[in-house]
Parts: sequence; structure tokens; C-alpha cells
Amino acid sequence: MKAALLLAAIGLLPVLAGLAGTIAPALDPAVWPELAATPGLSRSIALSLGTGLSSALLSLALAHGLLAALASRPALGFARALALPLIAMPHLALAIGVALVLAPSGLIVRLLSPWLTGFEQPPDWATIQDPLGLALVAGLVLKETPFLLLALTAALAQVPAERLLLQTRTLGYGRLRGWLVAVAPALQKQIRLPFAAVVVFGIGNVDVALALGPTTPPPLAILIWEWFLDPDLTRAPLAAAGSMLLVALCTAVLALCALGARAGGVWLRASAASGWRAERDRGARGALLGLGGLCALLGLFALLALWLRSIAPAWRFPQVWPMAPGLAAWREGSALLGAALPTTALLGTVSVLLALLLCVAAAESLRARPRARARLAALLFAPLLVPQLSFLYGLQVLLVRLRLDASWLAVVWSHLVYVLPYVFGFVAAARAAIEPRYRDVALTLGASPVRAFTAVTLPMLGRPLLLAAALGFAVSVALYLPTLFAGAGRFATLATEAAATVAAGNLRAAAVAAAVMATLPLAALSAALVAGNALHRHRRGMPS
Amino acid sequence: MSGLELVAVELALHGQPLFEPVTATVPPGEVLSITGPSGSGKSSLLAFACGVLAPEFTARGDLRLDGRSLLGVPTERRRLGILFQDDLLFPHLSVGANVAFGLRDGGSRAARRRIVADALASVGLAGFAERDPATLSGGERARVALLRVLLAEPRAVLLDEPFGKLDAPLRDAIRRLVFERCRERGLPVLLVTHDAADVAAAGGREYPLREPPTARPAND
Repeated sequence: MKAALLLAAIGLLPVLAGLAGTIAPALDPAVWPELAATPGLSRSIALSLGTGLSSALLSLALAHGLLAALASRPALGFARALALPLIAMPHLALAIGVALVLAPSGLIVRLLSPWLTGFEQPPDWATIQDPLGLALVAGLVLKETPFLLLALTAALAQVPAERLLLQTRTLGYGRLRGWLVAVAPALQKQIRLPFAAVVVFGIGNVDVALALGPTTPPPLAILIWEWFLDPDLTRAPLAAAGSMLLVALCTAVLALCALGARAGGVWLRASAASGWRAERDRGARGALLGLGGLCALLGLFALLALWLRSIAPAWRFPQVWPMAPGLAAWREGSALLGAALPTTALLGTVSVLLALLLCVAAAESLRARPRARARLAALLFAPLLVPQLSFLYGLQVLLVRLRLDASWLAVVWSHLVYVLPYVFGFVAAARAAIEPRYRDVALTLGASPVRAFTAVTLPMLGRPLLLAAALGFAVSVALYLPTLFAGAGRFATLATEAAATVAAGNLRAAAVAAAVMATLPLAALSAALVAGNALHRHRRGMPS
Repeated sequence: MSGLELVAVELALHGQPLFEPVTATVPPGEVLSITGPSGSGKSSLLAFACGVLAPEFTARGDLRLDGRSLLGVPTERRRLGILFQDDLLFPHLSVGANVAFGLRDGGSRAARRRIVADALASVGLAGFAERDPATLSGGERARVALLRVLLAEPRAVLLDEPFGKLDAPLRDAIRRLVFERCRERGLPVLLVTHDAADVAAAGGREYPLREPPTARPAND
């Protein structure tokens, strides 16, 4: 119980304090007319809303569609295995990689030039940073679909989806229609929070918009970010007011989504009685699977492009393979990486170890209290429903006053805010899945509670703990804005370096940082999977 | 007074009594069969005895072993062995490690290993120590679970429908083995079951749980 309270305090205090600290300067009445007079503001707002909402809805539809098309098929396991590395890849690194793939001089055009396109020069197309933000939507969908796929999979554990789907199919319904009518509504409640987090991230993110989003004008979040980083500190109240606008926009969109979900439910119940079966959905399923495959391919290409760009001193246009690949950029970047890489790795390790300790203790103390557990999970998730920018500035001001800015304590704590929700969700679910009588049996055999925990409960949690550690590490490596603000700009990690270089337009240097940044979580994930398989290898009764 | 005693034990779930107060004594080497339909609170009665009752239950009455109350004694020091319908062998440990988990402290490594090996051999499972419990048959698993309980040197044994999941021919053999081993050691055995054949095989007295007379509707 104490562990649960401590966990909630660690997860929520920085957000609450930070929000209060951001609201204060935004209360200045003079700042709002200034904000309203910002040229292109309405277009920035429209861009943020449009790209954020459309990418979230597309990701949800694609995740549902893939599950419907693959349910009770062996390929489902394959799809889930592909989703994990995409989830582990940091937003920023993936976005930079996607930019290197989609750009007019990117991997795709190179692969098709000049033999098909006839291009000897990169075409003058806006395939990234396009004014409508289509590339930004693509980047967000690529990153959020796997996340929602995994969230839906977790929710499926409590729904007899396979039998429901079989039932609808024997009644003559197509797979997609059957899923929509019978399975999707049962998942609605559990997918609400993850979906809301995706919406808020889509509207308020800097990470993906920096590499793929339009620039004149940029989305609102980028505008605010530029104001906060402006050396002229008089822009700070403007940025604070902008952040509050961002919060208001996110809240309005979430309310709209809730209304939409309700209206959708009414329509679905009405249409369920219509007898419409959509039994010929082979084409639609093919399209969904094709889209899913395209996402996986784009992710793989993005990683490849990062590595290629980072070893290419000169990469003349139609060449797919760089001339004289070498480590020149790496040598240039070694000073940067020399400091940023160890800092990133250490930050991730410390955050994950602390998170595991706290979450295991809380999950253990709440093992027989499912409702308290669900409430704590929802509380810890709350920071993901607030745009990062909106509380980080206030937090920074507070940290400066406490003389804690750029301290390890501040940066680790800011990382815990984002690492805890994922680690607790994972660990608590795994702990709850352990048959409670195993512990009872151990006690009746004379084992002390401590021994029952260390000899029975903890080993049975082994694999989920390893996976939670890898995912938590990936979250920490990816965090750009929290590191920037809590670190007061003086804390150099791979994320801050990648963001700074990509914002400065130095794609090669950005590629070096992003390549390492993308590979680090993948290495952690692979290590966790290998170690997890080695653990209990000769025990078939241990779920894998 | 030796043996296991239930003194006016009452259990309530969210304030609703589950059965009429139970008062019964199980002398050493004998079996008392508590019977009742599923949902009557039989398993909860055993959870109460072990001290692992879920928080939504409340309990009244006393539980005594050899004249001393066990209420307030932590589960791990009550020395009540329990066998469930599911054998609940620890899936991450080998068969031998499962049995050794119950074995009391002390003795050299080799000595402990020998005790486990001998115990396994005594129930026809010689050479099973390194096996993965998941690869065992239902009857083999039931025997391992029994050994695990007995090597913990319990002072009474609780049986929660432990034969329910076994095939009929096997069920007789395991039932005989369990009752025999407990009788040899002079252990009081509290069995809960809804299977009349269990009661007959146990050979002891039967105590049917009775519904409480004033079962009020939930929204009163």
C-alpha cells in the first residue's frame, strides 16, 4: 500500500507541479492577444488537430483491422513479433529514419532511379514536411499502430475473441464485420486510455513533427517549442499561453472522441440488427494486411537508412549504396556520442531499475486488490494524457528555484513519469496473472513471506520483468522533451543530440545519433527476449 | 485435547454468512469429510484454516490444533499441509526441487537430495527428481504434490477436493495413497468434497455444511 502511494506520488507530482508552474505565466492577460496575433496560428492549430486526430484514428482502425484479419491465425504471432521492435524504436529516431526514406533524395526514390523514374537529380517534391502534414501522419501511424496493436492484444486476454469471431462467422458474417460487431465493442473500454494517449501525443508531439512535419507554419507544438527555446526569454509567457491552448485543444478533442465513441456505439448496435454481413471482405483484408506489411517494411527501411546515412560521407543522388562508406561522420560525432551514449544508457538503466523496484513492490502489495490496481494504473497513465510541453516548462522553472535543474535526480524523475506507466502496466498484469494459491502453498509448506516471494513469485515473474525492463529502457532512451527541460538543456543524451542536429538541418549528424538511439532499445529488447527464453527453458509449464 | 478442532467457525462474504457455524473435531489419524455443493464455502473454510482467506471474507470462531488456537499464527508457522484439486506444483522448479521446497531445514545437500529421491521412489517415481513437472501425468503430479506436503512435516492435512480432476481408476489409487500416508503418520485430515465416493473412501465421519437460516437478499 505504501509502495502504491509512493508510486502514484512519483508519477503525478512533477506533472501537477509543472502544470501549475506553466499556468502562472499564462495568466498574464497581455499574452493572449500576442498569441492570437501570431501569424499562421490558425493554420498551426488546424495542422496539429488534423494530423493528431487522423493519425490516431488511422492507427486504431489499422490495429483493429489487422487483429480482425489475423485472429486465430499463426500469422498473428508474427505480426506481434514485428510490432515489438517498432514499439521499442524511439519516435524521434524513427521519424528521422522515415525522413531519410521518404525524402525526394531518400531511399525509395533512389531505389527507383534512374531506371524507372529517369531522375538524375532529386525531384522537387515535398514528400516530407509537406504542407498538409501527410508525412507526419505516416510517421505517427507507423509508430502508434504497433502500440495500439499490443494494447488491444493485452485487452483481448479478457474477451473470448476467438469464440465470438467464430460464432459470427458461422452466422455468415465476414471476419472484419464480425470483429466490428462482436469483438471491438468489448475492447472499447480497455483501449480508451491508450488511444487517448495516442491522440494527445499526436497533437502535442515535437519528436516526429521535427523531422517530418511542415515548417511554414509548423504544428502548434513546434511553435511553442521554438518559443520556449528562444534565447530571448520574453517569449516564455507566450509559450506558456500556447501550452495552455494545447491542453485545451487536447481536452476538447478527447471529449469529441468520447462523444464519437458513444455515437459509434449507438450506430453499431443499430446496424448489428440490420443483418448486413459483409461476408465478401477478402479485398479489404488484403488491403489491411498490405498496409500492415508496408508499415513493417517502412520501419525496417528507416533503420537501414539511418545506418547508411551515418556511414556515408558523400551520398550522390541516385546511388542506393553510398560511395566510399566510412566512419567519418562517426569520428566527427564521437565526441558527441562519447558523452551522450553513456549518459543515455545510464539514465535508462537507473530509471528502469527504480521503476522495476517500485512497480514490483506496488504490484505485490495490490496483488489481491484488482480495483485498487486498476485505479493506480489509470493514475500513472494520466501524465500521458497531458501534452509534454504543457508541464515541462513549469517543472523547469520549479527545478531552477529548487536548484535541482540539470541534476540527475530531476532528469531521472522526469523519466520515471513516462517509464512508470508502461512498467507498472506490464508488471501488475503479470503479477495478477499468477495463480494466487502458489503463494499460499509456499506459505503452508513453511516458507516465510519473503521466501515465498523470492523463491516462487519473483522467478515466475522473470520473463515479464525482463520485457518490462527492455520496454522501459526504450521509453527512457526515446524521451526528448523531458530530458531537455529537466536537464535545463545541459544534459546531453542521444535524444537531445538527435533533435538538436535535425532541427539545425544537419541530417548526417542526426543520422549518427538516431542510428545509435534506434539500435540501443532494439539491443535491449533482443537481450531481454534471449534471456527470457534461456530462463525456465526446460519448464514447459512456464508461459512464454 | 489432541487433533484439529473447529469451534463455531462462521464465514461471511461481504457480510453474508455462507453456512451455519461449524463445530467439529478431527482426532489424529482420522478423516472428517465436510460436504456441500459448490459455492457453499467449503474451500473458503480451508483458506480460513490456513490463514489465507481473501480480504472480502470475514471470519468468526476458533481453530485449534492440539488444544492451541491457530488464529493469529502466521500461515507459515501453522504447519497445516494443504492439497488442492490442481496440484499447483511450482512450474519453474524441477520435480525434485518442488519436493525439497517442502522439506524442513537442515541436513547436508546430499542428505536432502537422498531424502527427496527416497521419497519419490516410495511412490513409484524413482529417478523423477530432474524432471519438468509439466511433463508428468496427472497421477504422477498428484503424488509429487502429496510428497511435497508430507515432507514439510505438517501436524494436520487439509484436502480441497484433491481427487476431482483425476481419471476414475487413478482416483482410487491416489485416494488410498493419500489417506494411508496420513493415517500412518497419525495426522488429522480435514477433507472437503462434494463427491460421495470420497467420503466413503475416507471412512471417517461426514459433516454436511448447512445453509444459514436467514439468508437475506443482497439489497436489503
